[in-house]
Amino acid sequence: MATINLVDLKKNYGNVPAVKGINLQVADGELIVLVGPSGCGKSTLLRMVAGLETVTSGRIEIGGKDVVKAEPAERDIAMVFQNYALYPHMSVRGNLEYGLKNRGTPRGEIDRRVQEAADILEIGPLLDRKPRQLSGGQRQRVAMGRAIVREPAAFLFDEPLSNLDAKLRVQMRVEIRKLQRRLKTTSLYVTHDQLEAMTLADRLVVMNGGLVEQIGTPTEVYDRPATLFVAGFIGSPPMNLIEVSSVANKNSIGTLPAKTDIIGIRPDALFIAPQEGASISLKGSVELLEPIGGESHVHVRLDSSGQSVVLSIPGRPHLEEGADITLHARLADIHPYNSDTGRRTDSPVANL
Amino acid sequence: MQTKRTIFPNKLLPYALLAPQLAVTLIFFIWPAGQAVKSSFEREDPFGFRTTFIWFENYARLFSEPGYVNSLTKTAIFAISVTLLSMSLSLLLAVAVNRVIRTNRAYTTLLVWPYAVAPVVVGILWWFMFNPTIGIAPYLLRGLGISWNHRVDGTQAMILVVIAASWKQISYNFLFFVAGLQSVPQALNEAAAIDGAGPFKRFWTIVFPLLSPTTFFLLIVNINYAMFDTFGLIDATTNGGPNQATNILVYKVYADGFLGLNIGSSAAQSVVLMLIVIALTAIQFRYVERRVQY
Repeated sequence: MATINLVDLKKNYGNVPAVKGINLQVADGELIVLVGPSGCGKSTLLRMVAGLETVTSGRIEIGGKDVVKAEPAERDIAMVFQNYALYPHMSVRGNLEYGLKNRGTPRGEIDRRVQEAADILEIGPLLDRKPRQLSGGQRQRVAMGRAIVREPAAFLFDEPLSNLDAKLRVQMRVEIRKLQRRLKTTSLYVTHDQLEAMTLADRLVVMNGGLVEQIGTPTEVYDRPATLFVAGFIGSPPMNLIEVSSVANKNSIGTLPAKTDIIGIRPDALFIAPQEGASISLKGSVELLEPIGGESHVHVRLDSSGQSVVLSIPGRPHLEEGADITLHARLADIHPYNSDTGRRTDSPVANL
Repeated sequence: MQTKRTIFPNKLLPYALLAPQLAVTLIFFIWPAGQAVKSSFEREDPFGFRTTFIWFENYARLFSEPGYVNSLTKTAIFAISVTLLSMSLSLLLAVAVNRVIRTNRAYTTLLVWPYAVAPVVVGILWWFMFNPTIGIAPYLLRGLGISWNHRVDGTQAMILVVIAASWKQISYNFLFFVAGLQSVPQALNEAAAIDGAGPFKRFWTIVFPLLSPTTFFLLIVNINYAMFDTFGLIDATTNGGPNQATNILVYKVYADGFLGLNIGSSAAQSVVLMLIVIALTAIQFRYVERRVQY
């Protein structure tokens, strides 16, 4: 149990900055998900916390202690790796015991903890097998078991589910969430999968280009994306970002905040039917209709800019591809941005 | 991957294509080996006019001869020393190079060079350096109070050939160890570091066990090398002396057969060597594939 504090943390590889100054406070027992595209520095950040990468400048505090110069072993953390990194020549039991033995834990205590972890993860029958005799999901469990037995101050997860197939990934995601709730261990979780990020996180840290774009609960981040990047990154299909000049009925634009030149509209906030109250409309033609079960995605090319936007509509609308269409959106559903700053133009999001 | 399969209907073509290689193997390997087996059952008169078939008498004599038993012992000492020395040094170098990031390639290239040197040249090189009269090594050793003369001291002669033979083999072992080390995933090292193992412990509990297939393979190869590939080196440095101190099996075959002209005994010795090679190869094929730890 511990808090994690990152203070102005930076990392350069030679002259190339990978992490450009991160501030983050993780409360005790909280699960923080770091999410972002490849190369945004999220894994580097996690590895710095683990002690596997040196820190260029800044502070890392785990449980109130500055650990920047500490060895990984001294930081009281456990890490689950993307490719599991199980020791292939040891049995599952050997893998679980290794960290405890290195720390000189008494035999009885080791056995108790291994048994406990095996019970929690339901890997008891596998204890005497070698990692190569396990399936992907079982290896994943063993990797988690190796983290649990240590009873560390914090768990670090480095894209732990990305090597699993889609079905197993959903299942393990739920298990990780349940496990973390049960153990109440402070956790940092890195992923590029935004669905994983949304479902797991107590708080979400969206990163891009070595900087934090937004920190907040998943609903906060989804409802009020702080920047254009977050707006385009979180949500599937992504938010439509439209230049204000493409809007057909200019009179309603006046009510948008000053300096707004880009508006974001979620696909489910675009409608074919005119909406009540203050709204805007966009003219275009249907480009493609994608029925995906309960709802359909309609790709519409706007007449004014030639830009393609997506709206999701429940059911299966009868639309001809190539037909003219007018889309409507309520002003209340619109996210206003300025393209120069990349920020929201209405009340700014506090945590930036 | 898609491979294009071409079918040649001609039944003789495969044999024709194999024929050159088969001919070389038959004429230069199988036939001489057969001759050696045959000679090992025969005794030749001093003038080479007449040979008599004497069954296993050559072998019986061989194993009752103190010189041969001595040679067996020397071979064992030599092979074990060379294997241990060259393997441990090359593992050390491989680990060191694996830790260097920027100049890794340069070191690797430099460390591989000795392998390109012919055994005889290696022998002469070390013979020159350790030459009791003009060599640099005895001069330096004298400063340490050690009087070096491998021409009279059997132990020193053995040390010399062991050093020379190991030096050449280090390159080969080094390459395999470097490749082996690079195939150990970095994440395992990191996981072990987080699990509280220091660098030394990580090496012995994680890296070394994962290298065991490489180590086992090299063990066999090195024993083979020390026993059979070091003839030129011995010939150039010590000629098996002083007083048989470095007369290993493969050199004794040559010395007894071509210098002593005792063809029967020499042939019997080469058959014994052949059996050892067969045994080692069998072990290699049988276990090298299977001894993989994971």
